[in-house]
This record gives sequence, structure tokens and C-alpha cells, in this order.
Amino acid sequence: MANWTNLHKLAASVSKEARQITRDREALLLLFAMPLLFVLIMSLAMRDAFREKGGVVLPIIVVDNDRSTVGSSIVDAFSALPAFKVDTAIEGGATDERSVRADVASGKHKFAVIIPEGTDKNARRRIQRQLRFVKGGTDGAPEIRLLADPAMRFDYRNLASTNLNRALQAIENRLLWEEFAALAGMKMTPERRQAAKEILTGNRPFAEVSAEDAAALGRKEAMPTAVQQSVPSWSLFGVFFLVIPLSVAFTKERQAGCLQRLRSMPTPLWVVMAGKAVSYFIINQIQFALMILMGIYAVPLLGGDRFAFGHAPLAVAMMSVAVSLAAVNYGLAAAAYCKTAEQATTFGGASVLIFGALGGIMVPKFLMPPVMQRLSAVSPMSWGLDGYLNIFVRNGTVRDILPQFAGLVCFAVISAAIAALKLRNIQK
Amino acid sequence: MNEAAVDITGLVKSYPGSESPAVAGIDLRVKAGAFFGLLGPNGAGKTTLISMMCGLLRPDAGSLRMAGMDIAARPNEVKQRIGVVPQDIALYPTLTARENLAYFGGMLGLSGARLRERVNWALETARLAQYAGVRVEVLSGGLKRRLSLVIGFIHEPEILLLDEPTVGIDPHSRLFIYESLRAMNAAGMTIIYTSHYMEEVEGLCREIAIIDQGRIIARGSLDDILAGGAGTGAVEIRSGEALPDGTLERITRLPGVRDVERSGKLLRLASDSPMDALPGVLALLRRDGVKVLSLSHGAANLEEVFLTLTGRGLRE
Ligand SMILES: Nc1ncnc2c1ncn2[C@@H]1O[C@H](COP(=O)(O)OP(=O)(O)OP(=O)(O)O)[C@@H](O)[C@H]1O
Ligand SMILES: [Mg+2]
Repeated sequence: MANWTNLHKLAASVSKEARQITRDREALLLLFAMPLLFVLIMSLAMRDAFREKGGVVLPIIVVDNDRSTVGSSIVDAFSALPAFKVDTAIEGGATDERSVRADVASGKHKFAVIIPEGTDKNARRRIQRQLRFVKGGTDGAPEIRLLADPAMRFDYRNLASTNLNRALQAIENRLLWEEFAALAGMKMTPERRQAAKEILTGNRPFAEVSAEDAAALGRKEAMPTAVQQSVPSWSLFGVFFLVIPLSVAFTKERQAGCLQRLRSMPTPLWVVMAGKAVSYFIINQIQFALMILMGIYAVPLLGGDRFAFGHAPLAVAMMSVAVSLAAVNYGLAAAAYCKTAEQATTFGGASVLIFGALGGIMVPKFLMPPVMQRLSAVSPMSWGLDGYLNIFVRNGTVRDILPQFAGLVCFAVISAAIAALKLRNIQK
Repeated sequence: MNEAAVDITGLVKSYPGSESPAVAGIDLRVKAGAFFGLLGPNGAGKTTLISMMCGLLRPDAGSLRMAGMDIAARPNEVKQRIGVVPQDIALYPTLTARENLAYFGGMLGLSGARLRERVNWALETARLAQYAGVRVEVLSGGLKRRLSLVIGFIHEPEILLLDEPTVGIDPHSRLFIYESLRAMNAAGMTIIYTSHYMEEVEGLCREIAIIDQGRIIARGSLDDILAGGAGTGAVEIRSGEALPDGTLERITRLPGVRDVERSGKLLRLASDSPMDALPGVLALLRRDGVKVLSLSHGAANLEEVFLTLTGRGLRE
């Protein structure tokens, strides 16, 4: 009998909370519009950062003051790469190094290769001496330079310099061949020169490697694309952001005296708390589902990658439940200790931002220095993100998320206990 | 009906951080069916006392029985039998009047057809039927008070505790509240009514306790308390100009006058039998050419009783 009554009361509490939330426009914006926009923006903005070549095109200017085969070989090498667009519009002698440097420094050009006069001649002389086993003698020779826009990302700089060095290597190989031919008494006819060039460009190194996913946790299917990262990251953030509307509503309720009125009624405290927890939990699940749908349907429409849900729905559901329990109970605890709605907004907002920053929502954890990576273990959002990435990026299953699941549930239980302890004696 | 609705002994409550207790040892017995007034100035401890009576605060010491039950031992059974109208309006602003009633009614254990019936009754009683579907945030203060009031007895409690339910509303709504409460009391509900307006306690309550600094300093029927104040036999005479020393001297020597005190144009006489002494005093004043502006005798209201008991006004 008593239990039936309490269930009735619980149902009435949930329906009352639901009414209040759906009538609170700011809370709805905060809970739904904000995280959905974040998922969308981040999936699209970070798209290329997660792709190998992506759609980036880096303009590169080749200033050829030597007007030899070196310049043309470098132009050919970069032209063959989809990531670069070569510009030779600036005629050799017309542009001095200083003005090119200024243009690159101001971001007008992303990269510039400057080939000084005499490069070809110097290179040949060097090879000839080397073949005769003569040491030194190339000091003071003009050097080829690669200039980069100061704002250019480090990995793109590496991409440019690696490819330039590779092209220079190929040029040296070709010169070596030609000198060998001369030593062997072969005459370099234009036909032979052309053949040598074709052989050298078509010739691939005896081994060529690129990094591939270790996919340690299971079948390798999902790619670590931007959307695979941003859907779990920002839905976690959105789910935790409910701390603000929850604690604001709670403090307002207490300031108005509603909570005290409720406590003077024959309704146990757990019914009051559970009424809130259940309604916000349901909201969390709707939030998460919407963000997944956004990743699957909306992001590709706007040119991003499609979110891959993976093959572990049970694991996803468990994570979603655990994350929401952690967020809701943390919100109740925060609400219990905040006296005013302003406090709740400030404290709730700040703590969620800090949890998010520590947890790798804004900056992926693998980019953090080791100290920060260790520090991030204090953020429940970090456990949540680890769990989701184990499923969505590393193709893990229930087994692979158990530690994170357990951690989040413990966090929820401790938060609930802290809230209950404080709320047993409510005053204003 | 001589069973006690409220039975309190040695009740003490201090808030952490404050030096003197908010409730400093209160004994109080209120008979079932009474309309009991708790009168006291701001900070007297009224809300603290009510909060303990409804289980919101735990007393530091003392025992508290409501409707014959120990509230500490059986809180939910006690809470089921009492209704509370808090000092704050305590409503959900984004819910409608009906939704507020239905929610709190539900938390008081009503459900189904019975809940609907009681909600409609409450809307009628508070004359809020036309606002049933209006969000509380747009209701006027008086309408909110009325809604807050009926929530207190929507579940037909045996005892109703009201904490200054008429603060900040117009005389019309106030009258309406008084009438509802008289009707509920006539139907058998015990009512404990706190206030610092002595007029409403005078008009409503048959029994009164005056509370100050966490203690009950007087209690009894309205007549008892007023008579207690009048027992000193004080008479106050206000004159047009300050009383000459000679006149004061002569009044002191009149038969039946025990003591005379002068402050400015106010003369205060103490007498064992004021009605016998007064004609002589007035005749003397006329002879000395002192013009009498006003004359008062007896503690005509609780304000004066309070003043007499504590030396302070009720509303200072
Ligand atoms: N939560 C609290 N914490 C600390 N002190 C409190 C608290 N609530 C009340 N007090 C103090 O306890 C004393 C009694 O307060 P209480 O609210 O019971 O008085 P009251 O008679 O209801 O006054 P009012 O007519 O202003 O409502 C006051 O001195 C008050 O300052
Ligand atoms: Mg009060």
C-alpha cells in the first residue's frame, strides 16, 4: 500500500518536472540546441584534421633562380601531390628572396621554395668529386630554402619539407645516374635523358610504408573521423550541461519554499529526488539519441563523414545510462550545496567546463602532455569519453567499457549520497 | 474534544552560528478543535516553532506530539494529519493553479477521482476556478496567497498550521481567508495561526499565546490576556500642555491614586480602583485649567499587553 502510494507520487513528480522543463525555453536551448550545434560544428570543422590528406590544398610557390632541371623536377614532384598546388607565376630573376619571405611571413603564400642560381652546377660538381673520392669542396654553395607561413600547422610543414627532401633525393639520384653513364662512356642523348627521367619517376622505393590503425580492441571498421570523436565528446558535454538547468530549478524551488512545503508533506525524500533524477535521465537519453541521429544523418548532408554506430548497442546503452546517472546525481549534489540560482549557474557551468577540458572534450587527450593525461583521470567526463571511444573508434564491446561504466556508476552513487546527506535537513 | 492536538514540552532549537536559541524552551498544549493564535514580533521564533511542528526541523531538545503522535517516531503519519501554510508563497510559477494543486495534492497522498474532486473543491473554495488553467507566475500576489492557503488543507488535515498567511495582501483577500478558516474550524479542524498582526489574532482566535525571543510570555483566552494587562489599573491622560508641578503634586495626594508618572504631556496613573479615583483627578485638572485631550483605561488591545510585558512594541 505504502509502496503503491510512493510510486504514484514518483510518477506525479516526474510529470511535474517534465512540465516544468518543457516550459523552460532557456533550459531547452541549453540542453538540446547547444550540444547539437556543437556536434555539427565540430564534426565539420575538425573533419580534415582527422583525414590523411583530406581536402586541404596548400599553395606553394617555387622561385627558380637557377632555371635548370632542378627547378622543373621540384615543380613536377609537388604537382604530383594532391595536397599541394604549385605556383610558378613569379618569374625567376624577378623576385628576390626578401620579398618572397615577406609575402610568406604575412600569409600571402603558405610555402615558398627558393632555388638559388648555380644549384644544378654545384650539385653536379659535388657528385663528380664524390665519384672520384674527393672529400669536401662544396662548402659555401648556395642552399635551397623552404619558407613556411608562421601560422602553418606543424604537420603540414613536415609534409612540405618531407616531400621537398624526397624530390631533392630523386634529383640527386638522377644526376648520379647521368654521371655513372658518363663514366661508363655512354653518351647522354636526349632520348636517354628522357628514359632516365621516366624510370626514376616511375620507380618506387623498394619499400614504402604508412601508419595504419592497430585496432587493438576488435574488428577494424570505423575510421577515427571527426564525427566519431565529436558525437561522443559533445554529447557527453551536453549531457553534463544539464547540471545547470537542474541545479537552477532546484535552488529556485528551494528559495520559493516549495521544497520545504514538500518536506512537510508525507512524501519521502527519495521520491522528491528520484522524481528529478528520472525526468532528467530521460532528457539525457533523448539528447544522446538526437546527437547520434545528427551524426548519422545531418553531418553527412553538410559534407562531413557519416557517424558509424558500430556493433555494440548494448555497450553504447550501458555507457549512456552510466554517463547520465553520473551527470544527474552530480547535478543534484551541486544543487544541494548551492544557495542561489546564480551560484548554481556559475558553479555548475564552471565545473562542467573544467570536467570537459580535463576530460579531453575540447582538446583530445592524446594531444595532452603526460602530466595532463594523468590529471584527466579525475574527470568523470574523461571516463565517459574513454568508454565511448572504446566503442566508436576502437570497436570495443561491453567488456571494454566495464571499467568506465563502473567508475561512472560509483561517481553517481557517491554524488547521490552527498546530495541526500545535505538535503535531509533543508532550510533556506 | 479534550484530547490535545498539540502537546509540546521543553522545546529548544538553536541555529548553528547564532548565540541565542530561536526557540528557547516552549511548553504548549492546544486542545483539539481550537483556533489558536501565536502572536510575536519578527524574529520571535514563530516560523522555527511551526517548522518543528510540521517535521521540517528537528528540535535540539524537548518532546513534540501532534495529533497524539510523536513526530520524531512517526513523521509520515503525523505529516499526513497536518496541513501547513508556509510563510513563503511556495508555488511552482511555471505550473498552472490546477497543476500546483494536483501536484501537492498528490504528494499529500490523494490520487485518481478523489484528487480531481479535491482539486476542484479547492479551486472553488479559493475562488480561483476561473484561473485554474493560468500559470501561477502571472497571478497577482493575493491570488497566489489564496492558492497557497488551500493547498494547506486540500487533504482535510486534522490540524492546520498557518505561518503569517495574510502578509502582503489586500483586506478583501484577507477577509476571504478569515472566513475560510472560520468555516474549517467550525467543521472541527484545529488551527494554529501565527501572526504579528494583533488585530487578526484578536478577531480570529479564542486562545492566544504571545511569543517573544523564543519563549511564551503570556497565554490564555483573549479575555484572560487582556485582563492581565488591565490588572495594573493604569490610566493614561493626555493633556494639551505639560502638567504644572503643583498639579502633579496634588494628584498624588488624591484618594485611590497609588502612583503618578509624568512624561511630557502624558500622565500615567496607577490605581487599585481607577473608576473611583478618576472623578477626583478630572475635577482637579479642570480646576487647575489643564485641558484633557484623551483618556484611556485598561489594556485595550494586545499591542499594549505586549508593550506591558516586554517594554517593546510589537512592530518595532
Ligand atoms: N535558517 C536560519 N539560520 C540561522 N538563524 C535563523 C534561521 N532562521 C531563523 N533564524 C533566526 O532565528 C530567530 C527566529 O526566527 P523565526 O524565523 O523563527 O522568527 P519569526 O517569528 O518567524 O519571524 P518573522 O515574523 O519575521 O517571520 C531569528 O533571530 C532568526 O534570525
Ligand atoms: Mg516567520
